[in-house]
Amino acid sequence: MSRDASGSTPGSVATPATPAAAASAPRAAAASERRVSERVGRSAGAATGTDAATILLLAVSWFVEPQSLSHSSLLGMLPFAAILAIVAVGQTLVIQQGGIDLSVPGVISLTVVLLASVPDGDNGKLPIAIGYAIVGALAAGALSGVLVSRVGITPIVTTLGMNALLYGFVIQVSNGNPPPTTSGLNDFATSKIAGVPTTVPIAIVVTAIVALIVKKTVAGRRFEGVGASNSGARAAGLVVARHKSIAYVAAALLYCLGAILLGGVFSDPSAFQGDAYLLPSVAAVVLGGTSLLGGRGSVAASAVAAVFLTQLDQLLLTSGASSAVQNLVQAGALAIGIAVYSVPWGRVRGWWRERSEASASAASRR
Amino acid sequence: MSTSRSGRFRLGVSVACASVALILAACGGGGGGGGGSSSNSSGSGDGQPVAGAPSWCGSKKITLALADGFGDNNWRKVTSAEAQDEAKKCPSVTKYVYTDGQGNTQKAISDIRSLVAQGVDAMVVFPDAGKAVLPAIRQAYKAGVVTVPYRVFPGGKEGQDYDYFIKTDFKQAGVLWANWLVKALNGKGNVVNLGGPPANSQSLDEYAGMQSVLKDHPGIKFIGTTPYNVTNWDPAQTQKVVTAVLAKYPKIDAFTTDFGAALQASFGAFKQAGRQIPAVATEDANKLSCAWQSSKSANPNFKLFTVDSQNWMSRTAVQFAVAKATGGKVPSSTQVPQKAFEDSISGEPNPVTCDKAMPGDAFMSSHLTKPQQRTALQ
Repeated sequence: MSRDASGSTPGSVATPATPAAAASAPRAAAASERRVSERVGRSAGAATGTDAATILLLAVSWFVEPQSLSHSSLLGMLPFAAILAIVAVGQTLVIQQGGIDLSVPGVISLTVVLLASVPDGDNGKLPIAIGYAIVGALAAGALSGVLVSRVGITPIVTTLGMNALLYGFVIQVSNGNPPPTTSGLNDFATSKIAGVPTTVPIAIVVTAIVALIVKKTVAGRRFEGVGASNSGARAAGLVVARHKSIAYVAAALLYCLGAILLGGVFSDPSAFQGDAYLLPSVAAVVLGGTSLLGGRGSVAASAVAAVFLTQLDQLLLTSGASSAVQNLVQAGALAIGIAVYSVPWGRVRGWWRERSEASASAASRR
Repeated sequence: MSTSRSGRFRLGVSVACASVALILAACGGGGGGGGGSSSNSSGSGDGQPVAGAPSWCGSKKITLALADGFGDNNWRKVTSAEAQDEAKKCPSVTKYVYTDGQGNTQKAISDIRSLVAQGVDAMVVFPDAGKAVLPAIRQAYKAGVVTVPYRVFPGGKEGQDYDYFIKTDFKQAGVLWANWLVKALNGKGNVVNLGGPPANSQSLDEYAGMQSVLKDHPGIKFIGTTPYNVTNWDPAQTQKVVTAVLAKYPKIDAFTTDFGAALQASFGAFKQAGRQIPAVATEDANKLSCAWQSSKSANPNFKLFTVDSQNWMSRTAVQFAVAKATGGKVPSSTQVPQKAFEDSISGEPNPVTCDKAMPGDAFMSSHLTKPQQRTALQ
């Protein structure tokens, strides 16, 4: 899945970048093109890298702790992986635009408490609650998007503030102590299709749709182009601010969808249910190979990385490792994942070659 | 559970506020922990109990504050409602102020400081962040505010850093659980212990208490992570942990946990794994008791034992604070005992108590009336 999504050619992103570069000296143009294609190359490799890492992890799980892949363990793990995948797809869209969204907990918690408090056990009121949640997410996303793209406030500050604002509503709605979500939502989210939790096909379909839009439609290509180079996209006549805003709105909708499933899987939520999703959502995006500086990325790779992170969690829990070891292994996996994608290995190799050549020539002179 | 689930509390006090009025207000009847600070130096001249009120209620008019470190879960809501209800019994408490630190240490500290600045006479503190809030508590005490932290030990000493510390011994809860396990498992079985965040003293003490009993019963073994499997008192994490231990261990005879309601939310994981719910020893929770009643026939090994959730512990803290500040009679013991609440085997001291008319997150062990508790949980 992730390979398909990143399969388009590197050249397509270089196009919007070129006009800006052409305006300056040819050398700058070449450098800019190289930078863009480096990013592209990285994200194309990222998808396969994440797939390989996930397969490797499953193999390790099977050898080290086969019970972590038992039927019941997978059934327990998959819904959480599916929800994290949907949230990570949203975060990918924002990070592709060079932003970061720290309002993930706020949107998820608000959705969950709306689904719990508005119906208060009455399945008939569930559609209204979902409607409120979607409106809330849209409003939050649109406001963040406008503040970041039009007003020019840094994404970190904007979304952190948005998160605090949303938590105000969370406490207002739930009084800090939401009732259980309705039985209808619970039955739906914990149901199975052909033995697989319903959340899994939902996550796959959502990821596929977003990946197709980003990778295969004109609008999606423009979106990715804007992320790769704002100035290039502007020179190509694209409205950068609009694309950035759309990223925040679409992301908020995806968090909301993830939270609807979370509210169902987890029938007795706290008012702070979204807190556990902030770091993993960013981690999944980074492990999926999307650069935190923006540019191309792969939503499918982020979704696979979400499975990786959740299975890693489950493997560590099943192994009975102490919480210190669990944290260390998770941090190590993240550090390696980030290093693989963010260290410019080509440049490191080039630097190393130059250095050894320099010392060789110095030696020959002597 | 109550500690971090229940939130954080802090006291902040500004030394500048140490007005004579506050110092006078802080003086009062004698009692246990009083010590060296200037605030303790004056006598209890106005210490006549108010007619019709409890003996801990003196005649001096005071403002009382509850500085909660965190207020947004069911345990905290019921606990702070108990404190307010207790304060209402004493007409000398003319004003009652509540602050919520929202789980933020910095806010809890500034809450305490601003309460001192506002001139409250007595303050009950839930010091969630422990030693981090001790300086604020000490400042309040030195400023002459009667200061009573409870449940979470903030460090420091009675009479030096605060007036009294109202404590409970979580080891005793562990002892009660273990004694019941010996009975419920006939001295033989595998037990999984679930606890809160890593290295929290409540979960560690409970484990130590259980070990002190089970060392004489080698047939009962802890499996999974010891001293406890970390759940962070988060229901979602509890569900993941339960899924993992069910996958790993084919034979689990009992669970022990200080957050029974979270375990109840994970009962779906047992069904998913095709396993029966085993014996459970925990703190009381209405929804857990109701789940026991509805699933006991399908899960014959699901026996249930709970200890009292001690929401009423805040009442003891209020009694000490009000007695000291108003000149009433200070109660004798700062130690609140752990008590058994429900036992599905013996029915003593209570059979499993489910009230479907109450919210699932209500506590049947609470000393509030049912309407009061319903209001607190809304």
